[in-house]
Amino acid sequence: MEKVRTAFPFELVIMLGDNVYGGQEAADLVKKFQQPYSPLLAAGVTFHASLGNHDQPNNVSYKPFNMNGARYYSFARKNVRFFALDTTQMDAKQVAWIDAALQDAKEDWKVCYFHHPLYSNARRHGSSVDLRVILEPIFVKHAVNVVFSGHDHVYERLKPQKGISYFVSGAAGQLRRGNMRPTEQTAAAFDQDQSFMVVEILRDEMHFRAISRAGKTVDAGVIHRQARIGSAGQAAENLPALARR
Amino acid sequence: MTHKSSGPTTRGKGMERSPARRRGLRHHARTTAPRLGRFAVEHLLLLPLGALIALTWVNIAPESYFTFTFAISFAVNDVAMTIFFALMTKEIVEATVPGGVLHTWRRVMLPVIASVAMSVVTAVIYVRVVAALDEPVLSLGWPVTLATDLTFTYFIGRIIFRSHPMIPFLLLVGIAADACGFLMLGLFSPAGDVHLWGGAIILAGAIGIAAALRWRRVRSFWPYLLGAGSASWLGFFWSGLHPALALVPIIPFLPHARRDPGFFIDARPEARDALSQFEIWWKYPAQVTLLFFGLVNAGVPIGALEPGTWGLPIAVILGKPLGLLLGVGLAVLAGFHLPHRVGWKDLIVAGLIAAIGFSIGLFFSTALLAPGQLHSETSMGAVLSLVGAPLAVVAAMILRVGRFSEGADVSR
Repeated sequence: MEKVRTAFPFELVIMLGDNVYGGQEAADLVKKFQQPYSPLLAAGVTFHASLGNHDQPNNVSYKPFNMNGARYYSFARKNVRFFALDTTQMDAKQVAWIDAALQDAKEDWKVCYFHHPLYSNARRHGSSVDLRVILEPIFVKHAVNVVFSGHDHVYERLKPQKGISYFVSGAAGQLRRGNMRPTEQTAAAFDQDQSFMVVEILRDEMHFRAISRAGKTVDAGVIHRQARIGSAGQAAENLPALARR
Repeated sequence: MTHKSSGPTTRGKGMERSPARRRGLRHHARTTAPRLGRFAVEHLLLLPLGALIALTWVNIAPESYFTFTFAISFAVNDVAMTIFFALMTKEIVEATVPGGVLHTWRRVMLPVIASVAMSVVTAVIYVRVVAALDEPVLSLGWPVTLATDLTFTYFIGRIIFRSHPMIPFLLLVGIAADACGFLMLGLFSPAGDVHLWGGAIILAGAIGIAAALRWRRVRSFWPYLLGAGSASWLGFFWSGLHPALALVPIIPFLPHARRDPGFFIDARPEARDALSQFEIWWKYPAQVTLLFFGLVNAGVPIGALEPGTWGLPIAVILGKPLGLLLGVGLAVLAGFHLPHRVGWKDLIVAGLIAAIGFSIGLFFSTALLAPGQLHSETSMGAVLSLVGAPLAVVAAMILRVGRFSEGADVSR
């Protein structure tokens, strides 16, 4: 990531859960997070975490994760609003919150991220259908543009589902080699090495790249923002187009 | 723990292959087995059947499963389950009258102390185990480890101990553990909007209605159910407590029999008291409710499971026998006495039986945890706690406890 940043100076990182494995005491967090990411932290890159099933619940208060003690929260950068959710427990309060927060969002782009993927074609876990039944109608109603998830230790880009682009990027910390079983939903996948994504949003375009640990680009493309809907419940005027470079 | 572990000892080793022994076996097969078989059909099987359907359905067509069960979960978990808990409360209310296992507080104290120790030890082990399995977030579900499925406990307990004094002791331990669990649920349940004072006022009104009905000697259970019960449900719901427990404070006001017919002994059809009539009317609808309860709450996609799922069965299998022994030891040191013929080997087997959380575990999991992986893994852990049943039988065989003890009378 540090190497990539020399060519592409990204300013924030979103974390898709299972951010730290094993011990998560203060010393562990220094060793497993602050030290390896120290060049990025020193350069002023901010991290915004969501939590997964392997994270300590009290990591919401770990300063470098910028969660401010909240399991779910929202923040904006220029014309993009991000929504971090806690999918380990999707309680009614959180569902009501995301519905209201998406409704109130004034930015051009709405990007949701959380640990458990609503769509995944990896063998180990696959789609979290219970969460999909709860969240997808809300995402569609409020014309969410892009959703990022982890949990399955592979990279997968899905064809837009009901107008929303989904990515599974769960191979940054651990790899489950050969775990993909692509279906007709799969637009691109990579399960041979660990990987992470870099994303740039310029006006109505989101440029993305999935990069392996060896620095090889394994997937890339552009997502065109769907036109903003006038009121909740209307269908998006244009579905996001996805193009591979 | 001064008594040696043994079952009834009316026959010696020499009688094992005698004609009397064979007659005893035949008599046993004719009487006890059909009775327990009928009990299984009437009280046990529909919930596991619902769970089995759920596990199959969710792993074949998850979208239709979740769409259907999310739509009916409130009706099942928050409304219909009030009847199940009312019937469980009925058993407990009847157990407090003369002849019942809860009659006199002295009899209750030792199992209560043992149960508290059992609950603490199990919860501590659970938190440590899920951390060791690298899913520390599962520790939020620790109250689920307190659950004891009383119906399964009774059934497996009867199979192993028959009419041994361990049965009422075991039920008392289970009731006390579940009471601890409900208490924790009240304290830690992430209910929506909490209006404790408003709910308490409505609940007080409901109890007032029930007391007035009792004072006027109303013999039909319907006014208690529809008047006091409905108000109580509103009170629970408004306060943020789980409304499935709404009939728990109302049931004690229903006129009941003077003597306890025994735990899980069906009311006689000619019984005229309101509590017996309530059971006769609602016994089968409650079983249908349990079928749907299993269907709605046990549907766990296999892909959602991680090693942490084993945390709950491991904790209850280790923690309950260990905690029970510890708790009984402390209680005996404090001057309380174990029931006659209950020894440490019996307590180990009893702990394994009490490890079965199943129905109550599923309820705690659903009441405490929102949809998501935490709920899925914890609910599956509650289902897997059923492993306590075969382990208890194996332990009883190895330790020669109950029907497996030397010289046990098989005809009892």
